[in-house]
Amino acid sequence: MTLPFPVIDNDELAKLIHINADGDLPGFKSTTLSGLYRVHEGGRGLSERIKEVCAEADAAIEAGARLIVLSDRHSDAEHAPIPSLLLTSAVHHHLIRTKQRTQVGLLIEAGDVREVHHVALLIGYGAAAVNPYLAMETVEDLVRDGTFLPGDMPAEDAIRNLIKALGKGVLKVMSKMGISTVASYRGAQVFEAVGLDESFVDTYFHGTTTKIGGAGLDVVAKEVAARHAKAYPVTGITAAHRALEIGGEYQWRREGEPHLFDPDTVFRLQHSTRARRYDIFKQYTQRVDEQSERLMTLRGLFQLKDERPSVPIEEVEPVSEIVKRFSTGAMSYGSISQEAHETLAIAMNQLGGKSNTGEGGEDAVRLYDPARRSAIKQVASGRFGVTSEYLVNSDDIQIKMAQGAKPGEGGQLPGPKVYPWVARTRHSTPGVGLISPPPHHDIYSIEDLAQLIHDLKNANPQARIHVKLVSEVGVGTVAAGVSKAHADVVLISGHDGGTGASPLTSLKHAGGPWELGLAETQQTLLLNGLRDRIVVQTDGQLKTGRDVVVAALLGAEEFGFATAPLVVSGCIMMRVCHLDTCPVGIATQNPVLRERYNGKAEFVVNYFQFIAEEVRELLAELGFRSLDEAIGHAELLDVSRAVDHWKAQGLDLEPLLHVPDLPDGAVMHQVTEQDHGLAKALDVELIKLSADALSADSGQDAQPVRGQLAIRNINRTVGTMLGHEVTKKFGGAGLPDDTIDITFTGSAGQSFGAFLPRGVTLRLEGDANDYVGKGLSGGRLVVRPDRGADHLAEFSTIAGNTLAYGATGGEMFLRGKVGERFCVRNSGALVVSEGVGDHGCEYMTGGAAVVLGETGRNFGAGMSGGTAYVVDLDPDNVNAGLRDAVHGHEDLDDEDKAWLHDVVRRHHQETGSTVAEALLADWDTALTRFGKVIPATYKAVLAAKDAAERAGLSESETHEKMMEAAING
Amino acid sequence: MADPKGFLNTDREVAQSRPVEERVKDWNEVYVPGSLLPIVSKQAGRCMDCGIPFCHQGCPLGNLIPEWNDYAYREDWSAASERLHATNNFPEFTGRLCPAPCESACVLGINQPPVTIKNVEVTIIDKAWDNGYVTPQPPERLSGKTVAVIGSGPAGLAAAQQLTRAGHTAVVYERADRLGGLLRYGIPEFKMEKRHINRRIEQMRAEGTKFRTEVEIGRDIDAKKLRKRHDAVVIAAGATTARDLPVPGRDLNGIHQAMEYLPPSNKVQEGDLTVSPISAEGKHVVVIGGGDTGADCVGTAHRQGAVSVTQLEIMPKPGEERSENQPWPTFPMLYKVSSAHEEGGERVYSVSTTHFEGDENGDVQWLHLVEVEMKDGKPEQKPGTEQRIPAQLVTLAMGFTGVDRENGLVEQFGVELDERGNVARDGNYATNVDGVFVAGDAGRGQSLIVWAIAEGRSAAKGVDRYLMGTSALPAPVGPTDRAMAV
Repeated sequence: MTLPFPVIDNDELAKLIHINADGDLPGFKSTTLSGLYRVHEGGRGLSERIKEVCAEADAAIEAGARLIVLSDRHSDAEHAPIPSLLLTSAVHHHLIRTKQRTQVGLLIEAGDVREVHHVALLIGYGAAAVNPYLAMETVEDLVRDGTFLPGDMPAEDAIRNLIKALGKGVLKVMSKMGISTVASYRGAQVFEAVGLDESFVDTYFHGTTTKIGGAGLDVVAKEVAARHAKAYPVTGITAAHRALEIGGEYQWRREGEPHLFDPDTVFRLQHSTRARRYDIFKQYTQRVDEQSERLMTLRGLFQLKDERPSVPIEEVEPVSEIVKRFSTGAMSYGSISQEAHETLAIAMNQLGGKSNTGEGGEDAVRLYDPARRSAIKQVASGRFGVTSEYLVNSDDIQIKMAQGAKPGEGGQLPGPKVYPWVARTRHSTPGVGLISPPPHHDIYSIEDLAQLIHDLKNANPQARIHVKLVSEVGVGTVAAGVSKAHADVVLISGHDGGTGASPLTSLKHAGGPWELGLAETQQTLLLNGLRDRIVVQTDGQLKTGRDVVVAALLGAEEFGFATAPLVVSGCIMMRVCHLDTCPVGIATQNPVLRERYNGKAEFVVNYFQFIAEEVRELLAELGFRSLDEAIGHAELLDVSRAVDHWKAQGLDLEPLLHVPDLPDGAVMHQVTEQDHGLAKALDVELIKLSADALSADSGQDAQPVRGQLAIRNINRTVGTMLGHEVTKKFGGAGLPDDTIDITFTGSAGQSFGAFLPRGVTLRLEGDANDYVGKGLSGGRLVVRPDRGADHLAEFSTIAGNTLAYGATGGEMFLRGKVGERFCVRNSGALVVSEGVGDHGCEYMTGGAAVVLGETGRNFGAGMSGGTAYVVDLDPDNVNAGLRDAVHGHEDLDDEDKAWLHDVVRRHHQETGSTVAEALLADWDTALTRFGKVIPATYKAVLAAKDAAERAGLSESETHEKMMEAAING
Repeated sequence: MADPKGFLNTDREVAQSRPVEERVKDWNEVYVPGSLLPIVSKQAGRCMDCGIPFCHQGCPLGNLIPEWNDYAYREDWSAASERLHATNNFPEFTGRLCPAPCESACVLGINQPPVTIKNVEVTIIDKAWDNGYVTPQPPERLSGKTVAVIGSGPAGLAAAQQLTRAGHTAVVYERADRLGGLLRYGIPEFKMEKRHINRRIEQMRAEGTKFRTEVEIGRDIDAKKLRKRHDAVVIAAGATTARDLPVPGRDLNGIHQAMEYLPPSNKVQEGDLTVSPISAEGKHVVVIGGGDTGADCVGTAHRQGAVSVTQLEIMPKPGEERSENQPWPTFPMLYKVSSAHEEGGERVYSVSTTHFEGDENGDVQWLHLVEVEMKDGKPEQKPGTEQRIPAQLVTLAMGFTGVDRENGLVEQFGVELDERGNVARDGNYATNVDGVFVAGDAGRGQSLIVWAIAEGRSAAKGVDRYLMGTSALPAPVGPTDRAMAV
């Protein structure tokens, strides 16, 4: 039996239940088991009933049932529903233990299922399909009501929408976990429990990690009983006007779930930093720390031990030293306004801390402004604005492997937020939405990550290379790998960070607390002798000095803050960051709203100085004179104080506080530099060779340099350090084309010509590995077979995978076929090849690709800009979402034709390609073989731009027309 | 959310007032009837449905403002009324009389005029009454317990309604002849027509709440006896001890406390009197005290036909913008023009009354004042600035200093007072006497109606818990909670 979708409505469930009603399909016999228990019997009753259900399942299977429906319908004053996840997983694991699991499918009919995460959990713990009947009835009621849904909408349609949303949400969850089919996802248990008792998890959720113990069946029963009592109050009197609770999970409400940022803390934080009142700031931190203790964070459960003699506060390192360890979060220019972004940058530059560009590039004006630049340049999967110039002007380069608030997902900047000024720094088109791919297309293994670290180090040898990871089970191992891969900094990012733009499922349910990941990282690095060479940073809702000190004791030496400094800048947690309607001018590009921004760098400076002051106070109490002394002293965190909340009693936080036995003199923080091996690079020679050009006073005066060198595949990232020198000297404009023109013979290692700036041409006669022209920034790359080779180049592979990934400008001529993921996220380069593998031009936003040969599957997935010209294009190979972007040769206009002719001619000239030669020989016929792929919105925007320019409109009017065209498609 | 861009596309628009010349001739509410309905849904659409709705915090009741703004925007008045009543027993009172700390806290107010929350509230409740959505909510069963509530002001009524709905039999004792406390005899008709109180009392009666008027506990019934008669008692008797002005000439005729002046005017509206024994007609009137009660005196004097009305305030004129020590979202002291001020009269700030001067009949004729300057929080007289102004009727609206200590209630119960003359209570609103609770101004000191309702609701929870061991009633505020301030 195959179900098209894992979420089913009542009819579908009924069909499944009655599929054997006539007795003609005994192979699909179904049985419904009741998931109710006698609520007043508490945890014991719950446990017994689960046992009974398991026994009933055994009997049903014995009797031939192949479908078991676990239903919590028909609860009453005495019977409460067993939480559907507990029931499902309990039966699932029982059937696995008794080797019967493959004989039945589990269908879940549950009233407590209403969110994507609920469905994702049920399927992840073994459900075949889920029937969220109460959610559907609620939707039906909403339709009948007509207030929130149009009254003329058929209830069936509304229910369909709900089912579709729940199911597609699960798909999204699967995609971020890297799982493609429901069959592989079902029972995969891609979850980590935080705060559940070990034996409870072992019994009912066998195989799930639960690191710190916690609540068990009794607590679950208590919570069920509390909910049940709301529906059936002991007094028999239901409250007037309060049919349902108000909630408050996603938006703060007085009677709802507590949030660390509530009106009181936001107000006190803003007022204290604006009026520079440390006394009010202390009220803020006190309140946050108190709430934290009420089970809102793990760190709230720790006490600082006073077993060491305290030191006078005057002896503790000054505020000015501590603030250097602070950085602000990676929020892109684009996601937040220029004003907000610059506020953070100015403040951090004043303090000597570091702000972060986020994934949006940096405006050229700011790159060179010591006051407004961001010291940390982020390199994320979208590679927006990642040019040689961007990297050269960084202090730190941060590779974002994942984002705490939404691990496994890329960012998304909707079209209406891509204002012209945003598009410029991202090298994209105004009005056209931008999608950051979930993965880095050049990282599929830790070795690939090491390669990227190496590439970036070459692009700026003075910069520290960060790797940002998300706290989860196993992050310690990854961090150890990152340290071995020569990263200078590893960032452990906690789950509770995040923007109002993150999907709600991710915001609430993805990632783990930094306390867990940080402790694991510190312990793993220490045990493997890798701690001394890498800086450990942490972030994720750090709000107070106490948070910083707890993080330091757990092993962090640097600290990131994002939400708090934004609140200081005026953020009031509107949580509409994705709508471009931020009323305080932060998460918006709307000029009207930006006018309303009232943050100032001095407020942010005050904030960090206050935090540092509080850190000093705590260090003095703990008896440390500097943070360096405190780092890693987890033994000073006390968890013995009885956690008095009834839900916290089973917690065991000791594993977090374990300090491995270390030999004498072992250090617990970074003391040495990583060896990146740059001295051995071929570029050392290239830089020497290019002395004539590099010593010029200006690009115009640069003497041409010509050279010829042998290359081997151990020569990785060739040309990148040379590019660094060029950009450092001559800026983003580089040198005149071909000023430095070097020919290599042999087989190039990975990342040949990565981030190559304008003015440098590298020719390779031989072949190349992966990542040729990664981040190409205006330079030129020509790869052709060795002149002595006698194979037919167009049938052979000349270079590997992921070429021109994230290229922003320049040209590449590749004489032969190339691998997969060609031109992913290209935003400005022209790349010519003679055949590409699967996933070509994925997520491309600009530039041009010319393919004079075959393309693989899934061409142009997520492509939102740029143009691809392909010979003999098979439309079936184009991604389904892009079919309307495919045009036949008849759509080529004269401009296209002339341009194509020129490109093919140059390809021939540069590479001696016989393919190009043949096309040129009969050009008119050749033209009929070209297809063109250009995304519709992008095309409309370009047309609007053309029209506006022809009409002589000003730049801003032109931009307006472009935005209009984008929105109207 | 209602309309994601409503706050960008719609300007603030408030209820329309009737022309001054028209409204001073009658005692009806000053607003144009029905003028809100056509605009209010769009106004509600300005609500931004904040992640942290500061309005909901700024309101002592914790009104679910984003929720009902959304319903109002969608014109689902029944659902809006249901959500409104979830936290507020008497929105028709607050919708008319509350100074709206919610609007001071509105996030939109950081840089734009805030959402007209109060207008939305009053529209919802008026619509709800008109459409018959406000129905009695009697309890499904009775607990068999009875609770006496002393005082029928907003705190007492809220406590009584909550307790009745929780199954207890609540009996409200009111010393005046009509129910409502300050709402009835303190608030002039033009600010709230009394029919709103009557209508609500009818609902409460239908729910099972009992009312006894013209019974003053302490005087007519011994408080101890009352305690014995009931399972619990809630003192909601208000803070009725008025602050006086002990200056020479205070004993002259024509100088009255505001709460001596306003009630007879209201009795005229009730039809008990044809003219008020203390009328401003043909007189130069001086109102001492720049607060809301003062403004009520000003509006009443206008309607009675005063020759002139002057309102005196010892503090300097407040600013029109927030000062640094009153940042958003606090409820700031700002210069405001109430409806009474629109109607005329003069406001004089930074002045202190030195004495009164009367004529041969002992009637007040002149008020002598002097300018003052605030030095270290204390007014200091400026020599040479003395002057006198004509004053044939003077009303004192200078605030209240605690619960009535004359009628025997305090002594008979034996409840302790705090240093400010209020009845002391613990975290559950319980006094030192077993089973005796206190709510509203009697415990908090003079405050706003919205605080009184919030206290009544919260005290009801304390009583319910005292009687039953547990309580599912909401408690929006604690006895020591105060509005957010620096």
